[in-house]
Amino acid sequence: MPEEILRVEGLMKYFFTKLGTVRAVDNVSFSIRRGETFGLVGESGSGKTTVAHTLVGIYNPTGGKTFFKDQSLGDDFTHRSKTLKKEIRIVFQDPGSSLNPRWSIKQIIELPLRVHSILPNKDRMEKISDLLRMVELPPEEYLYKYPQTIGGGEKQMVAIARALATDPSFVALDEPTSALDVSIQAKIIKLLMRLQQGLDLTYLFITHDLSLMRNMASRVAIMYLGKISEVAPTREFFQQPLHPYTRMLLSSIPVISDQEEGLKPKQIRSRGEIPSPVNIPPGCSFHLRCPLRMEICTRIDPVMTEQEKGHWVRCHLFPEPEKQP
Amino acid sequence: MRTETPLLAIKDLHVQFKIFEGVLKVLNGINLTIYEGEKVGLVGETGCGKTTTIKSVLRVLPSPPAKITGGEIFYRGRDVLKMRPREIPGLRRGEISAIFQDPLTSLNPVFTVGHQLGDIIKHSLRQQGTEGVSKKEIQSCAAALLKETGMPDPERILKSYPVQLSGGMRQRVCISEALRITVKLLLADEPTTNLDVTIQDQILRRLDELVEKRRTSILLITHSLGVVRNLTHRVYIMYAGNIVETAGTRDLFDDPLHPYTKGLLKTVPKLTGEGLSEGIQGRIPNYLDPPSGCRFHPRCDSAMEICIQETPPFFSPGNNHEVACWLFRR
Amino acid sequence: MSKKDSSNTVIYTKKINISKGWYKFSRNLLSVLGLTTLIIIILAAVFAPYITPYPKHAGPYTNFRESSQPPSLKHPFGTDTIGRDVFSRVIFGYRFSLLLAVVVISLSVPPGILLGLIAGYTRKRWLEIGIMRVTDVFLAVPPLVLALAITAMLSPKLLNQMMAISLMWWPWYCRLVYSVTSSLRHEYFVHDAELTGAPKGFILTRVILPNCVGPVLTKITLDMGFVIILGASLSFIGLGVQPPRPGLGTMVADGAKRLPAEWWMTIFPALAIVLVILSFNLIGDGLHDMFAVEEI
Repeated sequence: MPEEILRVEGLMKYFFTKLGTVRAVDNVSFSIRRGETFGLVGESGSGKTTVAHTLVGIYNPTGGKTFFKDQSLGDDFTHRSKTLKKEIRIVFQDPGSSLNPRWSIKQIIELPLRVHSILPNKDRMEKISDLLRMVELPPEEYLYKYPQTIGGGEKQMVAIARALATDPSFVALDEPTSALDVSIQAKIIKLLMRLQQGLDLTYLFITHDLSLMRNMASRVAIMYLGKISEVAPTREFFQQPLHPYTRMLLSSIPVISDQEEGLKPKQIRSRGEIPSPVNIPPGCSFHLRCPLRMEICTRIDPVMTEQEKGHWVRCHLFPEPEKQP
Repeated sequence: MRTETPLLAIKDLHVQFKIFEGVLKVLNGINLTIYEGEKVGLVGETGCGKTTTIKSVLRVLPSPPAKITGGEIFYRGRDVLKMRPREIPGLRRGEISAIFQDPLTSLNPVFTVGHQLGDIIKHSLRQQGTEGVSKKEIQSCAAALLKETGMPDPERILKSYPVQLSGGMRQRVCISEALRITVKLLLADEPTTNLDVTIQDQILRRLDELVEKRRTSILLITHSLGVVRNLTHRVYIMYAGNIVETAGTRDLFDDPLHPYTKGLLKTVPKLTGEGLSEGIQGRIPNYLDPPSGCRFHPRCDSAMEICIQETPPFFSPGNNHEVACWLFRR
Repeated sequence: MSKKDSSNTVIYTKKINISKGWYKFSRNLLSVLGLTTLIIIILAAVFAPYITPYPKHAGPYTNFRESSQPPSLKHPFGTDTIGRDVFSRVIFGYRFSLLLAVVVISLSVPPGILLGLIAGYTRKRWLEIGIMRVTDVFLAVPPLVLALAITAMLSPKLLNQMMAISLMWWPWYCRLVYSVTSSLRHEYFVHDAELTGAPKGFILTRVILPNCVGPVLTKITLDMGFVIILGASLSFIGLGVQPPRPGLGTMVADGAKRLPAEWWMTIFPALAIVLVILSFNLIGDGLHDMFAVEEI
């Protein structure tokens, strides 16, 4: 069993605004093993992007403990050691704004090399070209191009090359292909999978596309309004979804074959609007939209329980299973 | 093959864009037909020219740099491209409406929803010849329209500004605006791409109901094959400025013919978890210097000599199933 | 790809970047016209002693026999009341105007940019608010009044005029750069630079500042015109370029007394002012197009 590379315990990230406190991430716990692809799924307001942004150091957590390679990250995420900055990297969601429009691709990829003084000056060109070749972009063509002149898929490849420039061990991929077409998405995902093998990378993969997740992740966690509702190994997650929200989400995905239609949960159809994270209802945050809501759901927030090995769910329909004697 | 006059008939449309580096030959002979009460899907990836096509129909192409260099667009038998500028607003307001991908930019941020929707209802009634409807009546009409799209608490929404609403709600407002009483054809350009999946599901189902109820035809443009499968009678597949295949929806998914269609269906991740395909090799062509003959040939496993030389016409290997590919030459 | 092919592609791509910039600028014919005119004016001003027919007329010179002559072949713009050739004086006058513009911009733009960057980027609210409120105070005072006050307090010289105008010019740049910086602050590429570990100074100057260059340069060209007219206005009321030096504003003022009979003494200097300001404005248009970030 490969060792744990990241452990998150009770992570919280609240934003304090004039309109109220936004509980973007509220008591989230999970752990990721080395070399795996851990999937995080959710809709807008779920907090999945905030989780990634906090882990990589854009925000300081409001609470909770996080351990990377068994070392605590402390409370100050934004001022972390240079080593950590090299080890944990991120590929952002929107290729359009993740590359500086006034920099050439060479400059964009060079930045991490400069900051961390990787390689003497004269060898950097070679390394940048290598990185571009690794993401299948011919260096001669792309080194001096500007982001506006290349397509979305190519921009994401540049972002990936940039993320890998420091030889990281952990990469957060925040919806890396959501803005892209299906055929380009396939290319990039395949590339990411090859790179993972070749460079021994661990991925935190975030997407709202469940079909993609089905084929990418080894384990999936689904988030709703800042909390994780269900975590399970991928196959179980899709074949035996427990939480009503998981089932609602799965039943909404557009699929292209009858065979896939058959795999979708039947009874639950989506209804209601996603509430704003400022106005989280009391009790279970999902109860307003839940067709299986009970009285207890309006009062008490459920806790995570392990139903099968490795399959956790947070719902009053699934109380703590009876302990075997 | 239906015999009545189609509602919309695009015939051999060619559009070019002039830019710094040269001339982009974007649309290379588009043929598309929609009949009354039909739900048609147009599937294609970014840059294939879908948006350019509907902008041509609405005559909102920015020209320069765009230029329509050939073809005709018939709406109810009248050539839209030959219409005088005076007649076009009537066409847009009355008969053809559109909803676009980003509802925030489609709505005016400084007016309330009630104001904007009221405006449109007023114009719509005027189009019909009804004047002097009271403000109260218009607002209650607006509230009814919003309720139809599944909006909770319409009265509150009418008093809100677009920025105060979520993406899904904004899109519902746009749908209300688009489904005016007189509209016969709705052009929906990626209407739910930016929305969450559960909201997308709700909105598309609602849109489907409304369109069926009013017998409005809809051209649903998207890059998502799954969406099209549930909602349309017929589908067109577009690649690099050409229609490459068209068939009844069922037929297309059961028996895709064009190599590009087959490739697309293969690259969509499947819920069965059977793994991901490699994608379609190559890249979308450079419109400055597009490939000769069939524009897909550089990426096609089955390319033949003739594919490089001549653009294939449509062949009909099946019932109402047409494909522009030399593999199907009889 | 062979070694030669690949380096050719690199050079080609670099060349494309430059020629594309020019293409975007030159699509605007008026901008090209403005640029050409400005280049001519600058060259004329720089080489004034060599190209003007009567360079000595720019200094203390009197020739009452030739005074108040209307425009002729000998004196294309006529002569003034003391007999000095107006054309030569106008060309020399451009020197003062351009010098004023260059000095004011050089003094006011850098501090403005610096403060704008800091105010826009810092997470310390007090710093941001502090800088912007000071900026607001300076912006609240009408420019002419402030310049008047300062120049009147000190002695009326060109030098003081320059300092006075510089003092009230920096806030505009501060505000412009502040708005660009604060809108870019939360873009992903800035976050990425921060996460990678780039120091703050680098982020301000190399990540954010290049994105401000477009609006700032455009504003500079438009401001050159403003500064020149402001300088001319101050000279007009006697607080700028002092006689016998040929300041354009001063010449307009002196010549105004001789209107309408001896119109050439005031009209030509005035037209000269208009011409240089117009050129700058037209260039500003073209620059704006050149820096616009296009999307595919």
